Amino acid sequence: MSDFETPISHQSKPIDRPGSIQPHGVLLAIAETELEILQVSNNTQVYLTKAPEALLGQPLSSLLDSEQIKAIAKILERGQGNPNALKLSIPTLEGERYFNTIVHRLAEEATIILELEPTDTLAESSFLNFYSLARSAIAKIRSCSNLDEFLALVVEEIRSLTGFDRVMVYQFDDKGAGCVVAEAKEEALSPYLGLHYPAIDVPPEAKALYSRCLLRLIPDVSASPIELLSIESREPTSLDLCFAGLRSADPCFVEYLQNMGVAATLVISLVRESQLWGLISCHHQTPKAIPWEMRTACEFMGQFIALELAHFVDRQESEYLVKLQALQAEVVASISRIDNLRDALVQPQPRLLGLAGAAGAAICLDREITLVGDTPTLEEIDALIEWADPQVEDFLFSTAALPKLYPEAIAFKEVASGLLLLRISQLKRYYILWFRPEVIQTVNWAGNPSESVRVEEDGSITLCPRKSFELWQESVQFSSLPWKSCEIESALNLRNAIVGIVLSKAEELAKLNQELERSNRELASFAFAASHDLKEPLRGIYNYSTILLEDYASRLDEEGVEYLETVQGLSVRMESLVNALLRLSRLGQQELHLKETDLDELLARVIDVFRASRPDSQLDIRIPRSLPTIECDPILANEVFSNLLANASKYNDKPEPWVEIGYLNPQECQSQSLLVPQEQSSTAIVFYVRDNGIGIQSDYREIVFKLFKRLHAQEKYGGGAGAGLAIARKIVERHGGRIWIDSVYGEGATFYFTLE
Amino acid sequence: MTVNSDKILLVVEDSNEDFKMLQRLMRRMAVKNPVYRCIDGDEVLKFLDRQETGNSEAIPLPSVILLDLNLPGLDGRDILARLKQDGSLKEIPVVVFTTSSNPSDIDLCYQRGANGYLVKPMDSEKLQKTVSAFVSYWLDANTPPVSDRSN
Repeated sequence: MSDFETPISHQSKPIDRPGSIQPHGVLLAIAETELEILQVSNNTQVYLTKAPEALLGQPLSSLLDSEQIKAIAKILERGQGNPNALKLSIPTLEGERYFNTIVHRLAEEATIILELEPTDTLAESSFLNFYSLARSAIAKIRSCSNLDEFLALVVEEIRSLTGFDRVMVYQFDDKGAGCVVAEAKEEALSPYLGLHYPAIDVPPEAKALYSRCLLRLIPDVSASPIELLSIESREPTSLDLCFAGLRSADPCFVEYLQNMGVAATLVISLVRESQLWGLISCHHQTPKAIPWEMRTACEFMGQFIALELAHFVDRQESEYLVKLQALQAEVVASISRIDNLRDALVQPQPRLLGLAGAAGAAICLDREITLVGDTPTLEEIDALIEWADPQVEDFLFSTAALPKLYPEAIAFKEVASGLLLLRISQLKRYYILWFRPEVIQTVNWAGNPSESVRVEEDGSITLCPRKSFELWQESVQFSSLPWKSCEIESALNLRNAIVGIVLSKAEELAKLNQELERSNRELASFAFAASHDLKEPLRGIYNYSTILLEDYASRLDEEGVEYLETVQGLSVRMESLVNALLRLSRLGQQELHLKETDLDELLARVIDVFRASRPDSQLDIRIPRSLPTIECDPILANEVFSNLLANASKYNDKPEPWVEIGYLNPQECQSQSLLVPQEQSSTAIVFYVRDNGIGIQSDYREIVFKLFKRLHAQEKYGGGAGAGLAIARKIVERHGGRIWIDSVYGEGATFYFTLE
Repeated sequence: MTVNSDKILLVVEDSNEDFKMLQRLMRRMAVKNPVYRCIDGDEVLKFLDRQETGNSEAIPLPSVILLDLNLPGLDGRDILARLKQDGSLKEIPVVVFTTSSNPSDIDLCYQRGANGYLVKPMDSEKLQKTVSAFVSYWLDANTPPVSDRSN
């Protein structure tokens, strides 16, 4: 409806200079210095029994006596903010008439404006009268504890004070659209509470006027305006009637009121921090005169209410801010305590949503997306992140009208018309998204749809609340409540906290790693040095026992020889233990020389050496299929196979011992549901050495890898230092692989390992 | 020195050489008490199990157990824990006899209920003194728990 976009009246006449007044009083515009009457309203005949022409161009003294003029001058001296009213008694052709008069000055135009409204008496309105009207209302209002309670009370009190049929509080949002947030009314009337108006219903010029002039009274909406007449050199419409209470009403506004069935209206502006926060709007179904004290009381109340309002709104905002900060602190504490970031954010659910005042959220950690509250689907969110990421600025992207920017969002506008996207790490694809529903979903207006819809003859629908609501709905389609700056800040703070904590944890880890590395290096070099020193005395023991055996055997008895041989055996054993220690520490220090290695060849060599060292062995070595070629350190890989083969041979009590050496590729691992330890990727080739030996109980499957740990006494199963598996494990781990055991005790064991 | 010959000693020691040394010293001290030996945890538990038919003839429970910590298979520290958790075995005094002088080992063993802790010295004289003290206290002076458990 284009009428709304450019109201015609606003094009032809600015609303603060309509060049006309309401008929319940008389207006005079007087030149400041010469006191010449420049303009009058065209109803002076009625009220003053003087024709306009008789007044125009005349000095003010032709109408008022010098006392009165002095009084006016005094008022003007005192300046704005001070009482600017007085009672005037003016002689007319029908006797003395009394007028309540309001005086104000237009500094720029050097003009004084007098507005006269007839009254019965000259008696000054006493302060007590006026105060008593307002007092009880003020006392009640003072006792409210929150904004909603306050507004509800305001409308009730104004209504009981003034007697209007309906009193409402409108609140304007940041776009200028209005909403009825409190209402007191006659029971029979249908409610307007919750009604939303598009911004255009109270256009910017009107809002500006309301900001400057805080009380607006139209006691009879349908009364015809009285035009202003002026002396020749002045345009009637040049007079700024902003502060004139008699100023005539804007025709558009009048039409709207009439469509609503309103015949009288009083509007009190609510200004906070120099901005128009809202209006107290009173409607009456019949014309209503408001006595002068009442008006003054309302004006005063309006100021008081605006102050209290500011207090409540501030408090509400700061309470919200405090709540946000508290939530934030909780989340931060949670993150530093709990290792899992996702859990810390998600539990308890309301907390994450409350951080940004959202109805839904999604946490995206690389590939994993966790949903909280009302959200679009996972696929939709995935696509949304892709789209939004390039637009992120300073880690954030926010919009309160997502479907307008990203058409695919129309599909989920009910849950996500508002989006706040926080990027924690682009590299690792860590995001948090908060969603807000379409505003329309959250607004309910209980008004009667059929009421006040006037359809014209040409089929067009005129101004009325229903139409307003529809227009408003149109205007907020696809949009959510806007994101407050404190909410955005809350999100940013969260990011900082996460990053901070993650960084400090990473630092801790790095430090720990450094410590460990250092201590490992020390240990390695220590072991290295120690083993050399240990070997020296060992050699001595061995050699001297050998001397004794060789040169003094004849002088020893059997037992003595046995003792010496034991000494020798023990020192040999010691040496192999020291060697194992040395080997292990070297493995920790040296570099891997990775090469493409044909494992078939390697295994063949291992078996050769084995056969050579144990010619009597009955062990049947089975190789079901050819081994692959992989990248590894050939010398070390050789050692692993050797050690495992040696063990398979030693720890076997069966009459027909065998060992099978082979491998499984990843698919085979899966199909055999081979349980690969978690750290291993599923793409590694798994080698195995399987025997039918004595097996290993499940309790011991970890400790067999401990250095020098054997499961049996020295003389059993061929003895040994207990180092073979420790060395094998070290080699496997240096390749980045894993080694583990599967076994049935008594029947055999399988050693699995990977080399990547 | 002769000692009460009805107090039974159980030695848990896997090293033949160490056990031989012990035997030698005890022979010198003319210890007449029966000495049994187990080389690992499984043997110990089997030996002490009075439910087993093989043991139901009254080999009474030992009056004291001398326990090495470094054993193959089940570690001595774990054997200690098992013994002290078993209702019918926990009264038997267990004296740890080990090369480890590590304070955390000492603490651990006492925590688990060890009744004594002897460190195996390298020095042969010291070893003799240690074993002598052990024998004199645990196989002579000390009153063992009531040993009638053979059913």
